[in-house]
Amino acid sequence: MLLDLKVGNLTEPVSGRSWDGPEIHRQVARRIARFKRHQLAAGDRVFLPFGNRLEFFVELLAIWRLGACAVPIDARLTPFEIDTLVKAALPRLAVVDDATDAAVLEALGAAGVGVIDTVDTGDEEALAGRSRLDDDALILFTSGSTGAPKGVVHTHRSLRARWVSLREQLGVTAFERTLCLLPTHFGHGLICNCLFPWLSGQHLFITPPFKPEIIMRLGALLDEHRISFMSSVPSIWRLALKLARPPSAGTLQRVHCGSAPLSAHVWDEIRRWTGTRQVCNAYGITETGSWVAGLSDADCTAEDGLVGEGWGAVVKVLRAADTSAPLDADSECQAGEQGFVWLNTPALMKGYFQRDDLTESAVIDGWFLTGDIGFMDAQGRLVLRGRERDEINKGGMKIYPADIDAVVERFAHAADVCTFAIDDAIYGQTVGIAIVLNQRDDETVRALHKWMTVHLAEHKLPSRWWIVDEIPRTSRGKINRDAVNAACIGLPSLELPKILAGGEKA
Amino acid sequence: MSEERQQQLQELIEFLRSIQKPNKPIEQIGADENLVTSGLIDSLALVEIVVYLENTYGIDFSTHGFEPERLSSMTSILDFIEQART
Repeated sequence: MLLDLKVGNLTEPVSGRSWDGPEIHRQVARRIARFKRHQLAAGDRVFLPFGNRLEFFVELLAIWRLGACAVPIDARLTPFEIDTLVKAALPRLAVVDDATDAAVLEALGAAGVGVIDTVDTGDEEALAGRSRLDDDALILFTSGSTGAPKGVVHTHRSLRARWVSLREQLGVTAFERTLCLLPTHFGHGLICNCLFPWLSGQHLFITPPFKPEIIMRLGALLDEHRISFMSSVPSIWRLALKLARPPSAGTLQRVHCGSAPLSAHVWDEIRRWTGTRQVCNAYGITETGSWVAGLSDADCTAEDGLVGEGWGAVVKVLRAADTSAPLDADSECQAGEQGFVWLNTPALMKGYFQRDDLTESAVIDGWFLTGDIGFMDAQGRLVLRGRERDEINKGGMKIYPADIDAVVERFAHAADVCTFAIDDAIYGQTVGIAIVLNQRDDETVRALHKWMTVHLAEHKLPSRWWIVDEIPRTSRGKINRDAVNAACIGLPSLELPKILAGGEKA
Repeated sequence: MSEERQQQLQELIEFLRSIQKPNKPIEQIGADENLVTSGLIDSLALVEIVVYLENTYGIDFSTHGFEPERLSSMTSILDFIEQART
């Protein structure tokens, strides 16, 4: 079938580049011809280790029109992490840009992946329409970049279900001129902030992700481009509320905030700054195509953790905390009673890529166990109170402690390790680590730091280290990361800069 | 350099140590060198410098506005403190 998606215009506010509909179709057609020259076939996978620029979106459409599957990748991953993902997903091609690290290009080449520069298209144009609704459209790797990757697979059907649901719940008027400041390699930024408006025919303005210099002039950006909608994460507001002048043109109609629920105080501050009361938490999980619940009309009193109603989803809070047994209606919590958040939506992922074990532990009878804890209020709205997911939320980017543990465990002198979240004034959370070393001298610490920089992207590197005698465990031998945090946080952490500087002097 | 400015510099260096990336010794950064492009701090850490200046020197950024280049190096931060307090 032909994908009958109606694209809107694309603009890069920072560079000033802009493509209208005819140019977008031309760019897609050139890439289809180019992919055909590279024998890209239906069912093939294509890595996209770049994003947040016009070319990314036309690559995506060209890949889809040929029936292939796009795999957007965080450009900051190390060659080691890229290699891990390549071995799992076996992409036929990778499309890169001029910012792609030379070591990443080398890793892709060594793995036998064909590498194409996104601007290298040639003039030949071609048409294609081979996608079917149940073809894999996107794989988004959410963790396991150092070991056993966990990739969320969305089909065209599940993505369309998300976009149709959002159109029904929210309409498209407020999204007429949408700004995206978020990365395009994860669900929130890509599926909802970018693709929902853009593939509903609305104008998308895309910037490089998480750039403080852009956030600091956010008000001017909103005014200059008459932005009607933007999504965000709390760390954007930590910067903008403090350092950016508010917009004055009054064009913003709606603002979403995802990743972590807003407190009532920050929520009201954002309303004041943006000049619109239509500010809400957009509760989203990559597995459910991101935004799955929120407030369709957000003009209500701000409350800590208030999400709202399901958007194309049934939201239930249950006492059941796992997928080991079929869900029972009796396990549903009463209004106000805290429990585990479950979701049922036609936008649910197909499953985790080649990891049926993980899919079975997260999904039962079409219900997805989110790992979040909350309750339904008297009005039937979801309110979030915490999460049981094993992840660190650093400025909206999810970092998985197990990924970091897996790297450190392979270091020759590491006897035990536990990575955990530390509260941070700017990022919300950052990464801490407790390590048991069987050699505790500075040289070993320097060697471990070097080991980690080779295997982990910079944003995942722990900012505070504790060298400890042992990692506390539960009576069942399991690590409780919160307990390790509590045991470490009051103690002085390692003076890492001094130790690393000592190595340079030697 | 006046004694007061020398004291401010020492305090600033101690503060920067608490927010810097681990693999870039502050001793290797010149006073006029850009703190972000030199790799000492993440650009998001500029907000932490703002909070430090608000808390330590009572500087009100809503009055002075925020221009990242005025906090780009140790020298420019000290100049900014001086201007903001006069």
